[in-house]
Amino acid sequence: MLSDDNKERITKAVEVAKVAAHWGWVPFVIYVGFVRANPKPSMIKLLSPLA
Amino acid sequence: MTTPVQQVAPGEAAPVLTQSEVHHDTQQQQPQKSAAAAALSPISSTYNRFMNWRKSLSLGNPGTAEAMGREAKTTLLSNFIFDGARADLTKGISLNPAFQVTHSFALGSQQSPPNYSFGAVYADAKSFLQGAVDHTGTLTGRANQSFANLGTGKVQAQLSEVPGQSMIQLEHDYQGLDYSLNGKAMNPSMIDGTGIYIGSYLQSLTPNIALGLETLLQRPQPGVSESLTSYLVRLNGSNRDWLATAQINPSGMLEATYHHKLSDKVDAAATLQVINRPQGKEANASLGAKYDFRMASFRGQLDSTGKVSALLEQRFTPAFAFLVAGEIDHLKNASKFGVGIMLESTTMTPEEMNAAMQSVPQPPV
Repeated sequence: MLSDDNKERITKAVEVAKVAAHWGWVPFVIYVGFVRANPKPSMIKLLSPLA
Repeated sequence: MTTPVQQVAPGEAAPVLTQSEVHHDTQQQQPQKSAAAAALSPISSTYNRFMNWRKSLSLGNPGTAEAMGREAKTTLLSNFIFDGARADLTKGISLNPAFQVTHSFALGSQQSPPNYSFGAVYADAKSFLQGAVDHTGTLTGRANQSFANLGTGKVQAQLSEVPGQSMIQLEHDYQGLDYSLNGKAMNPSMIDGTGIYIGSYLQSLTPNIALGLETLLQRPQPGVSESLTSYLVRLNGSNRDWLATAQINPSGMLEATYHHKLSDKVDAAATLQVINRPQGKEANASLGAKYDFRMASFRGQLDSTGKVSALLEQRFTPAFAFLVAGEIDHLKNASKFGVGIMLESTTMTPEEMNAAMQSVPQPPV
């Protein structure tokens, strides 16, 4: 069984991963798309709804 | 052994020696190998015959358990109806690999507050990434990755600042020659093993009949667990024009769907849901049809709870679509009405568009 110490570490790691995914996921998808897109788009066209 | 070495010139000694050694080795190994092969041959030949027989049946993969009622669900409008006003602005940035960003606005709905969300989708032949974040900061995301022969791994998450509203689902999908396996874990905890776990297996028995099992294991608290197994049946017509599915579980739930392709442009579907528990009985049926026109699609639906609903999606140009949705609940004397627009733009020039259209891969959705 896990010790209380390790349980706390896992809880903390899950919490950190959750915050990272929460704020990082959409930027990550945009980054992957931006790098691999063919042809390469410009950043302003990517984000503005009107351009 | 030594005689051939003495007979040849010194320079050639080494190759001859190795050659004879190799020969010697193979001679020694041969009987061992064949003995092992002989011992296993009944098993391997039976296995090979079994696999050849299985291939000769050409059963085909039955599709995943989750996708069982999908044809009916996409024909009926329950999953598409909305009320209030809605606008989706989609910008296609690349087609191969597919990459697009979406701004969605929703306003004036009776059920949900006004909402703005920004999303991005990336898809190529092996992976599918999707993320959307709304104005309250709630993220919904999905990632699918297919591994050559090992099926597809999927992660789905909803992360919110509000405690207790976040969830994550890990899933693995494997589709074999004539069967499908799927495992899911919802909010699994590494510490105490709580969460919801679902495993399903669907096997084709004939090209038209598939049977399966789905087991759900619920562990709301450490030490408390509850499991429930349901049975799955999937039948389809020999020329694939109709499809019927049912999911039955012993606790008294039946969910059945029926989908019939009447022609290229017309689909009809029906669903039935029966809950038969000691606490009470409940049943719900709906019947609907979908018509596809050149620039429009129309869905109409009739419900056993007294609802009549319709949804029209009219495309004026390929980049501009207009939606009207309506529902009248005759028993409750209530109604819903919705209008929406969908605008698609692209940052690509027509030439780039044509070049990219050549080969658009199918992502692992």
